[in-house]
Amino acid sequence: MTTPIIEARDLVKVYPNGVRANNGVTFSVLPGEIHALVGENGAGKSTLMKMLYGLERPTSGQIYLRGEPVQITNPQVAIRLGIGMVHQNFMLVPSFTIAENIVLNQEPRRGVVVDTRKAISDTRVLAEQYGLNVIPDARVDSVPVGMRQRVEILKALYRGADIFILDEPTAVLTPGETDDLFAAIRSLVEQGKTVIFITHKLREVREISDRVTVMRDAQVIGTVNTHDATERDLARMMVGRDVLTTVTKPPVQRGAAVLQVRDLTYVSESGKLALDHVSFDVYAGEILGIAGVEGNGQTQLVEALSGLIDATRGSIRLDEREMLHQGPRVMREHGLAHIPEDRLSNGVAGDVSINENLIVDRFYRAPYTRGGLLQLDRIAQNGRDLIKRFGIVAQSGELPARSLSGGNMQKVVVAREFSSKPRLLIAAQPTRGVDVGAIEFIHQQLVDQRTQGLAILLVSAELQEVTKLSDRLIVMFNGRIAGVFTDVTSVSEEELGLYMLGAKQQSPEELARVL
Amino acid sequence: MIQNILSSIFSAVFLGSILRVVTPILLPSLGALISNRAGVVNVGLEGIMLTAAFTGVVVGAAVLSSSGDSIFAAWVGLFGGVIAGIVMALLLAFFHLQLNGDLVLGGLAINILGSAGTVAVMTQLTGDRSNTSKLVSPTMPSVNLPFLKAIPLIGDFLYTVFGNQNVVTWIALLSVGVLWFFLYRTPTGRHLRAVGENPDATASVGINVRRMRYLALALSGLFASFGGIHLSMGYLTLFQRDMTAGRGFIALATPALGNNQPLGTALASLFFGFADALGIRFGTLQIPPEYAQMIPYAATIIALVINSVSRRRAAVARARQFRETQSAASTSLPPNASTSR
Amino acid sequence: MSYSILTPRNVALIALSGLLSIILAFVITVIITNQPTIEAVIALPVFWNTFAVNLLIGVSLTLFIAENGWGALRILLTVLLALLIGFVIMVIISKDPVNAYRALLTGPLTRINRWGNWIEDALSLTLVGLAISIVFRARLFSLGAEGQIYLGASAAGLVALNVRDLPVGLLIPLAVTAACLVGFLWGLLPGALRAYLDANELVSTLMLNEIATRIYSLILASIKPASAGYMVSATFAADAVFPRIITGTRLSTAILFVIVAVILTWVFIQRTPFGYQIRMIGANPNFARYGGINTRRTIMLTMAVSGIVAGLVGAYLALSVNQKLILGISGGLAFEGIVVALLARNNVLAVPAMALLYAYLRAGAVIMQSEANVSLEIVRVIQAIIILLVTADAVINFMRVRRPTTPSNPPPRVTQAGQEPSVTL
Repeated sequence: MTTPIIEARDLVKVYPNGVRANNGVTFSVLPGEIHALVGENGAGKSTLMKMLYGLERPTSGQIYLRGEPVQITNPQVAIRLGIGMVHQNFMLVPSFTIAENIVLNQEPRRGVVVDTRKAISDTRVLAEQYGLNVIPDARVDSVPVGMRQRVEILKALYRGADIFILDEPTAVLTPGETDDLFAAIRSLVEQGKTVIFITHKLREVREISDRVTVMRDAQVIGTVNTHDATERDLARMMVGRDVLTTVTKPPVQRGAAVLQVRDLTYVSESGKLALDHVSFDVYAGEILGIAGVEGNGQTQLVEALSGLIDATRGSIRLDEREMLHQGPRVMREHGLAHIPEDRLSNGVAGDVSINENLIVDRFYRAPYTRGGLLQLDRIAQNGRDLIKRFGIVAQSGELPARSLSGGNMQKVVVAREFSSKPRLLIAAQPTRGVDVGAIEFIHQQLVDQRTQGLAILLVSAELQEVTKLSDRLIVMFNGRIAGVFTDVTSVSEEELGLYMLGAKQQSPEELARVL
Repeated sequence: MIQNILSSIFSAVFLGSILRVVTPILLPSLGALISNRAGVVNVGLEGIMLTAAFTGVVVGAAVLSSSGDSIFAAWVGLFGGVIAGIVMALLLAFFHLQLNGDLVLGGLAINILGSAGTVAVMTQLTGDRSNTSKLVSPTMPSVNLPFLKAIPLIGDFLYTVFGNQNVVTWIALLSVGVLWFFLYRTPTGRHLRAVGENPDATASVGINVRRMRYLALALSGLFASFGGIHLSMGYLTLFQRDMTAGRGFIALATPALGNNQPLGTALASLFFGFADALGIRFGTLQIPPEYAQMIPYAATIIALVINSVSRRRAAVARARQFRETQSAASTSLPPNASTSR
Repeated sequence: MSYSILTPRNVALIALSGLLSIILAFVITVIITNQPTIEAVIALPVFWNTFAVNLLIGVSLTLFIAENGWGALRILLTVLLALLIGFVIMVIISKDPVNAYRALLTGPLTRINRWGNWIEDALSLTLVGLAISIVFRARLFSLGAEGQIYLGASAAGLVALNVRDLPVGLLIPLAVTAACLVGFLWGLLPGALRAYLDANELVSTLMLNEIATRIYSLILASIKPASAGYMVSATFAADAVFPRIITGTRLSTAILFVIVAVILTWVFIQRTPFGYQIRMIGANPNFARYGGINTRRTIMLTMAVSGIVAGLVGAYLALSVNQKLILGISGGLAFEGIVVALLARNNVLAVPAMALLYAYLRAGAVIMQSEANVSLEIVRVIQAIIILLVTADAVINFMRVRRPTTPSNPPPRVTQAGQEPSVTL
């Protein structure tokens, strides 16, 4: 039996805030293989890789390289040991050229100055050897994402890496770019390199990997040969629970159109066309799901619809009133509620009390403000009510929101948004990073509110979540609507996947059905 | 009177005086630039300048009284002042990089420390709370360039402008080029810029971010110190309390106006030098000096606004430009071929 | 928020300070007036005024302890550490450091006028500390208070000198209002630049400070009586100044204004919707915007409201302390206010105690300079050290480790610990 090129035994990582991100992880990779590491968000994949690359130190356990125990204290050591990592957020200096980025900190010199010409020729040679097409003298911020990723791989190659860790490399890529990446990975392996490939897309696992390790809840569930396992097996290993079966959904009773979006277009400040003529309606009493690979415009769609960014053009009508350029306050006053995708960045203020977090949308109105003064007793009462009604586990409403667990913090957001008596709820990744119990609770709340006549726009990267909860479904790809499905139960995940990856696109006539 | 002003503005004497007043703005501006580029804003420039200016005078005076060689004393004073300034900068660096203190508050503390420390020690040493006129301190020498006169037609003009400038002014002018070379051509300078743009990326290739920021703050202290030295050992021959008069704060604004480039920063500094020199000219025309003194500060605010407005315009223009190319591209390419982040 | 100040500990503290106040007031009154008997002393208004001032000191300290709990000890330790470092510096530069430090630490209590100077300075610092706390609460690095003080003082001074024939008792309110209005406008300007044009508030307020001091000089030059040998205005008329309440000091009824300012600022920050907006922006600006708060407008108005309080400082300096306009009337008070706000952790109710603490050092410094011939700037050095120590996490953590008795569960209140703003240029 071959010695694993890299092996982790019983790794435990406990973060200072008490989160146990890896709980006795044992994991081994054979030389020359493409090893996929899969698991849901928060399963512990990234933490494991950070420990292998020296970005985090394990609390206990041991890492072995070619059978020898090693201490990877920082990325420097990892690089010296031949481990290279391509991060999800690229580690590139935007204003530097590709060649400058590749040679950074190992610059060829001529006297005291950097030998730019040699850097460029080195880059060119390396790129040709591995078939990684880049433009050495182009600035990184002027080239497409796919090329930036190749720059990252070249950076590791330039530093003599044998083992490549790719952290969700396809999350930001178009299908065409993904194909290029896979070709590059195969070329690396052909030339004797080893690749660890992190993903949560089973399709990619099937396509590229030799073996696959599944992680869940900070532990390794198992490692199997890819061609021995079906997607269903892997999915069961990843999820290990049927979270959604407990939600019972009465038949839809559709009311009037609450939200009407027409030709919504948004060009980001960096110049990207993030939303491209998006049109759809959301009716009272239905959940409209939006599925898609992350980074295909869903974030901008949610922010535009909740007034956080100003759409470039188009129309957003909430109960027949034009809301473009109105901002969050006006939209909220006309019945918008919004569960944001990243609660820590804008859903809560961590240092502020739970009670005060629960009134950010209503503090200025009676009964919370009377005669120009905040009514502390009413604010505390509101907090007590919501903590009780939404089962938020908190000793007191006076505690800062930071003291809550992820699930309870999300319940604070959900409690505030549901209790504002909205007409329209935009729920973006409502169950991301929360525990099972909270997921069930939030799902049940969504369905209940929808049955009582709320219009809900549900955006989620978890395909199962949108398919189980939605009454109708939109798939977004590359800032556009790729497909609309009025009968969610009759469409297979495979079919949806083709739309999510841009392989299929409905015609304008088909799309018009959504209006 | 207006004619008077105009003719004096475009005289060689006036241009020479601009170079003189621009020196103590340009040098700390370069200091601000280098620390900005490493991602650490140095608000403590004012205090560093004062410390260097004072130490330079005291060390210079001490050497002068013992050796009697004023040129030698001046250079030793410069050296002492620079060391003191760098120590202050390193104190700020230690506070921020080692103790995780807030950089801006730390910078303000350095300013207070520089302002109060110099006065306290001055009082202790000379018994005078306002200036060091009781000390005989040296001046940094001027660089005489008589060959400029030999140049036909513009020789006299050039000589009046450049021919007899203080050596620190020349240090300032040369620093612009040296700084450019350092930042864009040497590996260390590139690492420093990389740290400012994406610290994670630079850390991931083994560059010690903290060490680069120490270096940036120390260099920033070096340049600011030269600026302080110029005030007390070039522009004047004594140290006055708070003689920097906000130049260290103006220097915080110049790099932004100069697009965070050495040459741009130099041009922005010239603009402030011009406003400053103009103010001094006004002062000779029986207008209360306060009006003139306000000019550089008002100019800073106006420039700050223009800068941020133009930055925003540029972003909007970029978006518009992209929109146009995008719509052109989308007609010729399949939808999934047009992607960039 | 169901928090009450009337806990047994606080009641005890207030009672204790009340007792001490009576004794101190008695001693001070005896010193001032040489009245031998208790009856005679009690009959004097000076006694009651002194008693009231001392009681206020006690209340301030009690509030500080109530607001910070054990944190109060940490803050005091920080100050002590800074004083210790200051002493080391003094040992290096002074021939007689012990005597100098004695003058610094006991000086303000040695004479009635020194005591008065201390309290008077504490009142200015309280107001400046409030002004700075307001902007720091929104994580804005605005130091415009200095300029606002100058312009507030000139506005109050111009009204006091030029407005005639008003009904009795209206001149002072008018002058104060003028000062607040000017402060408001001088804060609105950088606020608007920051909120709508993204112009860095630190640089813009520093520049505006320089401009404001020049404007103040110009105004002073234009109103200087021809007879005055140096740059001062004429002394204000009696109906334009706050009546003084304790002989031998410059303490006046303006003290009531300061108390009102503290209470109003506290109500403003903690109990009004606008204060809620400020606090949310300071805690997480994205959250504030998401929740529907108009963050740009709030930022602009926060800086303007802070200007109102800073303008009030100017009015206090002009109408109460100096009773005329003098050159350099503020003299860098805004920067001293930073220390007060930092020590109080931007907590309005802790500001008066920290102002008293810091003003004590400032008053001591003046005495140290005159008695021990040590430059009063040494106190500004200590000030810089305090800023460094208070904001350096590591130092505080170090002290926390050294103090294992600190309860690990903080009281169930929202503390805004360490909430200093930070900026990038």
